[in-house]
Amino acid sequence: MRPLTLPRLLLRCSILAALLFVVVVIALKLGAVQVSLYGLGRDLIHVLLGQSSAISSDYGMIVVDIRLPRILLGIVVGASLSVAGASFQALLRNPLADPYVLGVSSGAAVGAILALIVESHLDLTPELAGLITPLGAFLGAAITIAAVYLLGRRDGQIDSSTLLLGGIITASFLSAVIIFLMSTLRGSNLRGTVFWLMGDLSTPQPRSLLYFLLFGFLVAAGVIYTTASDLNLLLAGENEAMHLGVDVPRVRIVVYLAASILTGMAVSVSGAIGYVGLLVPHLMRLIFGSDHRMLLPASALGGAIVLVIADTLARTVVAPSELSVGAVTALVGAPLFIYLLRRRLA
Amino acid sequence: MSSPHRSPMASIEQQRTNPDVRLSVEQVSYAYAPNPSQAPLFTLEAMSFQAKPGEIVAVLGPNASGKSTVLKLISGALEPLSGRILLNGFVTHLLPTKTRAQRIALVQQESQLLFPSRAWEFVLQGRHPYSSGLRFESDDDVTIATNALAQVGATHLSNRWMDKISGGEKQRVILARALAQQPLLLLLDEPTLHLDIGAQVDLLDSLRRLAAENRYSVVIVTHELNLAAEYADQVVLMQKGKCLRVGPPASVLQRELLEQVFQAPLSVEMTASGRPRVTLFSNT
Amino acid sequence: MQRFYSTLIRLAAVTVAVLFLLSLELSGQAVAPAPLVPTQPATREIVDEVGRTIRIPVSPSRIVSLAPSLTETVYALRLQDHLVGDTDYCDYPPEAKKKPKVGGAINPSLEEIAALHPDLVLVTKSLNRLDTVRALDNLGIPSYATDPHTVDEIISSTSKLAEVLGAPEAGKSLAAELRNHLAVLQAKLASVPPQRVLFIVWTEPLISVGKNTFIADALGKAGAISIVDSSQDWPQMSLEEVVHLQPEYLVFASSHSEAAARDFDTLANRPGWRILDAVHNRHYAVISDAVNRPAPRIVSAIEELARQLHPAVFQEVPQPMEKELPAGATKPPSASPAFSLSLQDGCKGSTESSCAR
Repeated sequence: MRPLTLPRLLLRCSILAALLFVVVVIALKLGAVQVSLYGLGRDLIHVLLGQSSAISSDYGMIVVDIRLPRILLGIVVGASLSVAGASFQALLRNPLADPYVLGVSSGAAVGAILALIVESHLDLTPELAGLITPLGAFLGAAITIAAVYLLGRRDGQIDSSTLLLGGIITASFLSAVIIFLMSTLRGSNLRGTVFWLMGDLSTPQPRSLLYFLLFGFLVAAGVIYTTASDLNLLLAGENEAMHLGVDVPRVRIVVYLAASILTGMAVSVSGAIGYVGLLVPHLMRLIFGSDHRMLLPASALGGAIVLVIADTLARTVVAPSELSVGAVTALVGAPLFIYLLRRRLA
Repeated sequence: MSSPHRSPMASIEQQRTNPDVRLSVEQVSYAYAPNPSQAPLFTLEAMSFQAKPGEIVAVLGPNASGKSTVLKLISGALEPLSGRILLNGFVTHLLPTKTRAQRIALVQQESQLLFPSRAWEFVLQGRHPYSSGLRFESDDDVTIATNALAQVGATHLSNRWMDKISGGEKQRVILARALAQQPLLLLLDEPTLHLDIGAQVDLLDSLRRLAAENRYSVVIVTHELNLAAEYADQVVLMQKGKCLRVGPPASVLQRELLEQVFQAPLSVEMTASGRPRVTLFSNT
Repeated sequence: MQRFYSTLIRLAAVTVAVLFLLSLELSGQAVAPAPLVPTQPATREIVDEVGRTIRIPVSPSRIVSLAPSLTETVYALRLQDHLVGDTDYCDYPPEAKKKPKVGGAINPSLEEIAALHPDLVLVTKSLNRLDTVRALDNLGIPSYATDPHTVDEIISSTSKLAEVLGAPEAGKSLAAELRNHLAVLQAKLASVPPQRVLFIVWTEPLISVGKNTFIADALGKAGAISIVDSSQDWPQMSLEEVVHLQPEYLVFASSHSEAAARDFDTLANRPGWRILDAVHNRHYAVISDAVNRPAPRIVSAIEELARQLHPAVFQEVPQPMEKELPAGATKPPSASPAFSLSLQDGCKGSTESSCAR
């Protein structure tokens, strides 16, 4: 009998974090423009010393200004989606749940498209214009979260199966709305929307937004983490959990809100990247077991690793063109999912 | 032993004068209506009984007699329409969830695990009522869980996966989890339903032993007449939401009463140990 | 042993945290003010066609084009030596294919663009994404956007672009040629009523062009009028409506006329399409896909269409003017006699009035 202890948890997380670091370094090195680690290291030191203008390697700029923000975005989005996925799988007691099953991503897409349509009629400063799509997406996500919550209640409390049904119906409805809206879009808006819907990390976001995302992730994931032991018990059944001292209604609503907010934030900036939120928790479960005190941080780090790898592949495999990162995750994720499914059934 | 029929006043009196009583169900009634404007689908009429430390109480009756509802009321999952349920003087459904879980443990028939876990992980869940916030299990918790497994004779199952062991073995592990909660009261809902006969006897023998050793009060819901006869210190006989009789097996398990409740011809004999044995006949 | 592990863990955690914060700090240390190119001695501020104010060198020497139409225009202005990169789809003139590629028009690789150290990137509103433009802004790379909606605007856009690129004379002369060409064409077509046409972009579903597009305007200049009255750019038409409107001609844009002929035959055999007079009479015209690009070449595509729709007006042997391309570039397929001949092949079995002699 070896229950999870804090040192063991930290050790495993450190290993994953180290793996993430290695992946980040490799991702920094790869790309349309080759970079030497030595040159990179030298440039980092120059930047640290405040001598930005002294950066000798031209390509150092490319790495620091283009690749690094993109990698960081991938980390935050990958971590958010994976933690949200693991949480929904526990909350809905359904191994097929992913962050989008309750319609949050469809709501975000509708918000983003409406923002795009509105933007062309307004005259905005560049900074504001850059923020309007994520803001619209997040607003759409928030409204959907509220609507599905209201739909998913029974006797005044969230009920897992009702929530799932409400979410699926909402997602369907919103998908139809999206298709309708897309048919009214003009040329370049339409193309941009299609890209966004597929999932895309290539649009550099303002630095302040990145910090905000990171902060939001830490808060929401932290809140979910406080219910980690409760989630372990929820997996055995809601009745049993209650008889073991879990405040089931409170846990349900906390996890629902926090996981939905994580999804909303991720989708607002990167579109609906698929398979990450579904598969990373399963992979981590295979390695580390279902104890959420380990699973949640492992999913966060694992999701970051997976998405950075996928994004690096997306921008290097058909260089100079780019694949959309959602296409890469789907191409790799679908066969992997089938494999996991068969393993379970075997 | 106490008399078979108690008046409501007498039981409260007895509780005040008898600090020995652990569980006291006092004039508890319940009604379930899915829609408040409709007539209730199901009612439980006012009933009372008590349990002492070390006692096994069997709530006996055919299907839909309200036995499971009684259990849910005692466990605090449901709130009684009238009356109250006291555990060591505290009203159960008013206790905070965690505190209640430290005093009352419920053993259900099957555990539907979404993702399989090992038996020891499962039993450790029983320590959850004693954790607060983000706590990791302490050495004490591990010791208690190990002991619980030993008490049900399932130490060899400790490392096995829950979805790979037999029904009887699973039932033992579930019981071990309940013991790990270190409760005052053990509630079991039809624990023998999916077990074969050997396992049934094993389970009830263990329960009797555990109740005696650790001074648990045990309430078992069952429709197995002979199990109630053999193991219970008290029997609460129920039919269609009504409690017909409370008392030791010999005084409750009587032929005319049983035939009326279970609608089947039977005969009752006394065995050498002083407990009744029920024999069922075929109708033809 | 326990102490050792816990110290190790703490050390690892601290290192990871420090490295992470460091990398965040780096991405923040915006190299934003430091431009990717050595600062030009002389710059100026101009306003592009979507209203953005940008600061560019007086004579940009390293240009990246993110749209095939803009690449064509750069070649037409004989400024191709300054073109250091273009998209995968920039295929006209053929030399453009040899330029360094930066990816697609919609999803170019920012790294590739940055690696070329351009001092100006050309984009067009109808093709490129706003996100790309914003990303370039963040990197300090100026981008100039065009947004022509009519043929006249294409011509003026060309001369404006020439001025921006530091070659105003080339722009003026090219624009003059193009306008001249169009004027001659208009004079010839003044005597005949325009043909009502349906410009077919896609057949399943049936998609045409909206009235605010430059393609619709080009049709107008070719002595045609698009029967589609929609303000969407790519409206989907119902076959019923087309039948109701009964266009006189169907117009296809294609780089291969044989393929177009095949497409027409396939279409003609489909149920519902036979009701159209244009199908029944085999009244269809094929023009070069240059009409899809808002570039100087569109003028010759216009003439090509005019010749097919109003052959009676063009009495002399077809000799479309080739002046819009610099010497040394190959002629566009639409202007070559070989192509006109194959047009005639496609016209076999049709009535005389629909085909060029």
